[in-house]
Amino acid sequence: MAFALKRPPKRHAMISVVSMIDVMMILLFFFMVTSTYLNLDMVPALQKSEEMPGDAPAGAGTPTTLLIRIAADGQTMIGGQTIDTAALTTLLQSRLAADPLTPVVLFPSGGAHLQDLIRLMDTVTRSGAVRVKVIRIEAAP
Amino acid sequence: MKLRRPARMADRETVVALIDVTFFLLIFFMLVGRLDATAPFTVKPPIGTTGTDLPAGGITLSLSDTGALALDGAPITRAALATAVTTRITQNPKVLIRINADQATELRHVLLLITQFEDLGARDVALIVTPEGP
Repeated sequence: MAFALKRPPKRHAMISVVSMIDVMMILLFFFMVTSTYLNLDMVPALQKSEEMPGDAPAGAGTPTTLLIRIAADGQTMIGGQTIDTAALTTLLQSRLAADPLTPVVLFPSGGAHLQDLIRLMDTVTRSGAVRVKVIRIEAAP
Repeated sequence: MKLRRPARMADRETVVALIDVTFFLLIFFMLVGRLDATAPFTVKPPIGTTGTDLPAGGITLSLSDTGALALDGAPITRAALATAVTTRITQNPKVLIRINADQATELRHVLLLITQFEDLGARDVALIVTPEGP
């Protein structure tokens, strides 16, 4: 008489995932706590690679150049007169309609804030100007 | 005869869903975040609506509203800045220099830096702006 002994099915060893969850949680908290999410853009301030050899410098002496001054208090001025954003936009659009390549030169005071310059650059760019330059102040010797 | 009921075993809760969600969040934060050195002082970038996307890489120079400087998160003096930037430009002449200046910084600080970088041979300098208001 033969007996067939049945072995119980072999159970696989269970791998604990608790350690993995711990590590993942620590990483998750690290990224969540240390991250600061900022939506940042850039405005080119110097691009030598894109300068054209034939691109003549837009100086104040060019007849069609529009020179815009930024006073120390942030006021925008053209020809010694203060001008608001709406009037400046209208003026720029009329000048650019006559000549789309009208050079616009921004001449900021050293006491003006960066926000004033960026705001003016936004206005000029939105008006359609493509040749915008900023006069930089040379360091005192 | 008293029949004994077997001890009631609690249902095993599965942690698979928890792992899935945690993995998803972890990958999300790792992908959308960009690790960048932050300045040792508060810098509130100017608001600009016509800026273009800021590429990764390059040198980040932070400038506070009082004129304090930090290069890639580490404070630096104006004298040491020229040497550090020259070294980086020598290594990569096309390196992008990003100026992360506070919106209240006076332009005499900002414009002077751009001129200084141009004199050092920099070809690409950009001002960091944010399209969002406070």
